[in-house]
Amino acid sequence: MREPVWEFLIVNYLFLGGLSAGLYFASALATWIQEDGRSAYPRIARWGALLAPWPVSLGSALLVLDLGKPMRFWKIFFHFRWRSPMSIGSWLLVAFTFLSLAYLWSWLEQDERQSLQARIPGKIRKRIPARVQRWLDLDASLWRRNLAMLGFPIAVGVGIYTGVLLGAVQARPFWNTNLVAQMFLFSALSSGTAALVVARLMDREPVELKEMRFLYSMDITLIVLELFIVLPYLIHGELSSLAVKEALAQVLGGPFTIVFWLFFMGIGLLLPLAIELYEFKPVILGKGTFHIQPRWALTAGGLVLFGGYMLRYIFVFAGQATGFR
Amino acid sequence: MERRTFMEIIGAGSLILPPLACGLRRPVAAGPTFLDGIATTCELCPNKCSVLAVVKDGHITKLNPNPDNPKSRGMLCARGNAAVQQVYDPDRLKQPLIRVGARGEGKWRPASWDEAFDYTAKKLSDIKAKHGPEGTLWSSTEGFQEIFFKNLGQAFGSPNVMRHPSLCLASVNLAYSMTYGTVPSFDLLNADYVIMAGANRFESIITPDTMDLIGGTMERKAKLIYLDPRFTVTASKADEWYPIKPGTDMAFILAMMNVIIAENRYDKAFLESETVGFEQLVEHVKPYTPEWAEGETEIPAQDIARIARAFADAAPRAVFYAGRRSSWYQNDFQMRRAQALLNAIVGNWDRQGGMVPNQKIAKGEFLVLPWDDPKAARVDEVEKAFPLASAKDGVYLPLRENLLKGQPYPVKGWMIYKQDPLHALPDQGKTMKMLDQMEFVGVIDIAMSDTAWYADVVFPESHYLERTDPIEVMPGIWPAAVYRQQVVKPIHDTKPCLEIAQGLAKRLGLSDYFDYTIEQWVEAEAKELPIQNGLEHMKQRGVVAVSQPKYGTTRNPVHRFLTKSGKIELFSDRLKEAGHDPLPVYTPPVQPSGGRFRLVLGRKATITHATLTNLPWLHEHNPENDLWIHPEPAAKLNIQSGDLLEVSSSVGQVRIKARVTQEIRPDCVFMLHGFGKKSPWLKRVHNVGAADSVLLETAWDKVSGNAAMHETFVKVVKA
Amino acid sequence: MATKSVKTAQRYAMVIDAKKCINCKACVVACKAENQVPLGVFRNWIDEETSGEYPHLRMSFDPEQCHHCADPSCVRVCPTGASWQREDGIVLVNEDDCIGCKYCIIACPYDARYHNPETHTVGKCTFCSHRVDRGELPACVETCPSKVRVFGDLNDPKSQLHQLLATRRYEVKNPQTGNGPQLYYLL
Ligand SMILES: Nc1nc2c(c(=O)[nH]1)N[C@H]1C(S)=C(S)[C@@H](COP(=O)(O)OP(=O)(O)OC[C@H]3O[C@@H](n4cnc5c(=O)[nH]c(N)nc54)[C@H](O)[C@@H]3O)O[C@H]1N2
Ligand SMILES: Nc1nc2c(c(=O)[nH]1)N[C@H]1C(S)=C(S)[C@@H](COP(=O)(O)OP(=O)(O)OC[C@H]3O[C@@H](n4cnc5c(=O)[nH]c(N)nc54)[C@H](O)[C@@H]3O)O[C@H]1N2
Ligand code: SF4
Ligand code: SF4
Ligand code: SF4
Ligand code: SF4
Ligand code: SF4
Ligand SMILES: [Mo]
Repeated sequence: MREPVWEFLIVNYLFLGGLSAGLYFASALATWIQEDGRSAYPRIARWGALLAPWPVSLGSALLVLDLGKPMRFWKIFFHFRWRSPMSIGSWLLVAFTFLSLAYLWSWLEQDERQSLQARIPGKIRKRIPARVQRWLDLDASLWRRNLAMLGFPIAVGVGIYTGVLLGAVQARPFWNTNLVAQMFLFSALSSGTAALVVARLMDREPVELKEMRFLYSMDITLIVLELFIVLPYLIHGELSSLAVKEALAQVLGGPFTIVFWLFFMGIGLLLPLAIELYEFKPVILGKGTFHIQPRWALTAGGLVLFGGYMLRYIFVFAGQATGFR
Repeated sequence: MERRTFMEIIGAGSLILPPLACGLRRPVAAGPTFLDGIATTCELCPNKCSVLAVVKDGHITKLNPNPDNPKSRGMLCARGNAAVQQVYDPDRLKQPLIRVGARGEGKWRPASWDEAFDYTAKKLSDIKAKHGPEGTLWSSTEGFQEIFFKNLGQAFGSPNVMRHPSLCLASVNLAYSMTYGTVPSFDLLNADYVIMAGANRFESIITPDTMDLIGGTMERKAKLIYLDPRFTVTASKADEWYPIKPGTDMAFILAMMNVIIAENRYDKAFLESETVGFEQLVEHVKPYTPEWAEGETEIPAQDIARIARAFADAAPRAVFYAGRRSSWYQNDFQMRRAQALLNAIVGNWDRQGGMVPNQKIAKGEFLVLPWDDPKAARVDEVEKAFPLASAKDGVYLPLRENLLKGQPYPVKGWMIYKQDPLHALPDQGKTMKMLDQMEFVGVIDIAMSDTAWYADVVFPESHYLERTDPIEVMPGIWPAAVYRQQVVKPIHDTKPCLEIAQGLAKRLGLSDYFDYTIEQWVEAEAKELPIQNGLEHMKQRGVVAVSQPKYGTTRNPVHRFLTKSGKIELFSDRLKEAGHDPLPVYTPPVQPSGGRFRLVLGRKATITHATLTNLPWLHEHNPENDLWIHPEPAAKLNIQSGDLLEVSSSVGQVRIKARVTQEIRPDCVFMLHGFGKKSPWLKRVHNVGAADSVLLETAWDKVSGNAAMHETFVKVVKA
Repeated sequence: MATKSVKTAQRYAMVIDAKKCINCKACVVACKAENQVPLGVFRNWIDEETSGEYPHLRMSFDPEQCHHCADPSCVRVCPTGASWQREDGIVLVNEDDCIGCKYCIIACPYDARYHNPETHTVGKCTFCSHRVDRGELPACVETCPSKVRVFGDLNDPKSQLHQLLATRRYEVKNPQTGNGPQLYYLL
């Protein structure tokens, strides 16, 4: 078996890209859901908006660094190859990054915008044309909802893309099923949600119960969906052609078995699910009162992020170890 | 130089030729051509394949095969392809070196050619003054310029000009010569039934046999029976492979003859008209039944009998192939004799698909002034101890014994050309002693070999791609004369052997014998080539191959074989007179005891002898050698693949990694040649793996004096 | 004389008679020399397989290289178009456009591509297109002692390649990849 050519830079990139997509998605949802004519979960929405652009930017930087010829990365944008997931994905990433920056801008308060502008060195600031200056001063908060709506498909696209990048490679039976794209999407959305749980709990402002209810119900749903994909992925794979079966051996009695079952399925998926369900029990059963125990919630959020990372790690490495030869 | 286009090979060519080019039955016809490459001849192993060297801006970029040569059949092996790397090897010898530290310490002083010549000539003259010219030894391995080196030794007056055959094929050559008066080739292109005993043709490449055997077995579905204690590539392609008990091949052959004679399957008419001694042979093989042979060889009796029948039935398109490196056992000559007799009784002599006497291509000769015969007898006493052996080639191991004893006289100077005795001779420790007792050692090589590392003066020869060599005739069923011409000018301060010989000759007062240039030499040779404008042709195409295979030219009543009786000698009076068995008598080989293993040797396609392991393109495929050992004994010794082992014989000890494999008999171990180098200049294999020659004990074949290199038993333990 | 027929487009391919391969590596070294392939990476190689138990053993060798697929997934996934296919079927990498993302290496089901440690771009067998365009055989084809590989034009009914495929049984490796591999292994 040959050496993997995609390594940790790509694992990180896939994870970070997905995380951003998830952050954007959760934030957009929080923006979109209205209560009394305004966003129902403004702090969640704001956190998501503030965080969303950065992981993906870091991830893209890592991707460029992983290139054999980083200085040539621009060539991707001079050839549109509609059959290449990487080509489409790169355009998506660019669109998403700009969109998420605009979205972030829309969530900044006037004073925040101004203090940001104040940091621009005077020499440069003076040269900013008036037209642009006007834009920068504009209160974009009205755009939030529109940007959120516009972002849904693109964030979902980025989330899916991280999976499609692998899933579209028919040479690697471990990846080559449409379930991988969905698995990566739900994992990405779940990571984003979990990141917001963590972020919201670290916030100075105390968490409201309804916020947690929103995040928990979303994360539980996403984890369950993810489970509903991981299990069919395994079962379907076992019932599939030899190449796929052999590929699955990577996680079923092969080098990645422990990582997969213990670190991904166990610690990264089922454990946080159990914690969240336990916490959420009163809501689900309609009995008792729902408390938040920040320690548990933080743990669950952290584990989901860890699980999301493990998923990328396992898929990137195990997938390359599979093939038809 | 011109080369055919592939359009033509796969287009029109396919109409004439059988399906795949390997099945070529005639030399490739010249067709529409285009210019490409300088014609020359590979020097990386004894095969001498024809090469077209592509040069761009004075740099050799690629070596391509030249399809004109019917011997190399349009191929270049991995080694031939890698030759470019030798030229541009940063670690190659770049100028003459004179030792300044202790021997082997590796302290060298770069010297001018004049200095190196003066120094060497002085040393040789001193030795001559003290011990006479016979106090010097001149040893070499085959090569187109070897002649100049030998001439220098002879002109110097030494009887001790020592060539490599007694480390290689002396026994097989002698056995066939004693029987047929000549050493024939085997028509593998047309044979229907081939038996090979330890002739690992698909890894030990011999042209055209390797290609013909593939064509024969794979395309014409000829049968191949292969005997070898190892499962080699040849074994894997054979129809039947028998892991014969080492050293018992003669029993197998005698039993085959037993069956063929008992069942009247021999060629009666042929035996009557062309051979002597059949009656004695009939009696001789009677006790050697297949059942008896089964006990010796561990090959089932019914298989031996079946093979014997099939072989005789397929004759004359059946051959028991002779093999080449016959430096195996102390009875090697007799074992090869038995083969020769087996071939004789089925009458495959000089028939298509059988054994065929070699044709040659005529060439001219450059006449040199004759020198006086040496006054002293050879130090190896070959005439006395091995009267049948080739005195001009000598016997290497008996020579080393005598030399170490200082008998019959001291030898204190050693000149070496294109040879690495520290690896080529068994028992490296002993060869080291032989080096130690020399007052002077001079080596002519292209690389810092281990022997060069222990020399006093190292002369860098120009690489084959940098020099023009004499024209060489390669005899065979498809004979060819080939030419090696300079492809690029020497890139370092090196000289061809002729110029090195001339430099020394001048200082030794022997210039008269070297008063010519390589161009004059080649011109004289080319004059009598059977082709118009021979030299021009050679420069253009590099090969003259004018003849077609001829079968049956010696099958006529007037033909006299070059033997004493003029016939094929099944029973040999000359052997009897010399005190040897006139018919091959079997004695069972000594078996390893006390948990020891027999160490067997063999080749790999990407290595030549003990050399080339340092070339990156080849090193990639052989980073290190290991010891093959069967799983059964390995389990007993608790050895797993990759474990470091300590392997020892009565003369030496090495450390080498284990390779536990099914591909060898449980009573043998095997390692590749060419590793465990002492010379740091061979940096990729310096102290990497182990050298088999450290372990091999001294033994030789009784009749030919050929080294017997499978007679060593080794102990294997985990290090 | 009949009128000259319209020249049909060429489609280069290779027939491999693996049973004749003796694992001598001449093809591998010839390719290295011809194409300046760096140490440690290979455009062609020999897959070895041994099986059985002493003394009933089997050993086989399979020469491998790029299959110059009819529908090459390497070309499909390449984001810059550096991987491309000629009209005659030869799949190439345009060095200047390659960004070294290695996606094509991963997407090749035949593991025929490598990352060139010297240029940091991707390399692969070119069918020696520079030689073929001069009318020569690929280096690996020409040098092989047993002439295991037969190179030629599928669309030329007179070619040895075409004739072999017409008269011998063969297989392609893993047709289920859907790539339409163009190395034909004789059975
Ligand atoms: N243990 C063991 N010993 C063996 C054998 C074995 O299989 N195992 N095989 C035996 C056989 S069959 C043979 S033929 C011998 C071969 O024995 P050698 O002839 O000693 O074989 P090589 O190892 O090829 O060493 C040849 C030397 O010539 C140098 N050389 C290569 N080309 C040139 C050139 O153009 N000019 C000059 N001047 N030097 C050159 C090389 O660098 C190398 O140092 O070994 C015999 N000894
Ligand atoms: N690639 C490559 N090709 C070469 C050379 C090279 O160095 N490299 N050298 C050339 C030269 S100079 C020579 S002499 C030839 C040598 O070519 P071959 O004559 O084919 O000799 P080896 O390759 O030494 O193979 C000897 C085989 O005999 C087996 N063997 C050992 N003991 C016994 C036994 O008792 N009975 C039987 N039946 N088999 C036994 C060993 O396992 C080994 O496989 O190769 C030539 N061709
Ligand atoms: S067999 Fe290989 S090394 Fe020997 S002469 Fe031919 S090409 Fe050169
Ligand atoms: S050159 Fe031919 S025989 Fe040798 S390894 Fe390559 S394909 Fe096999
Ligand atoms: S074998 Fe691989 S590299 Fe070659 S064309 Fe097919 S997919 Fe591309
Ligand atoms: S590594 Fe080069 S050739 Fe391969 S997909 Fe990326 S840009 Fe294309
Ligand atoms: S066709 Fe050329 S590039 Fe491809 S493997 Fe053969 S020698 Fe190498
Ligand atoms: Mo030899």
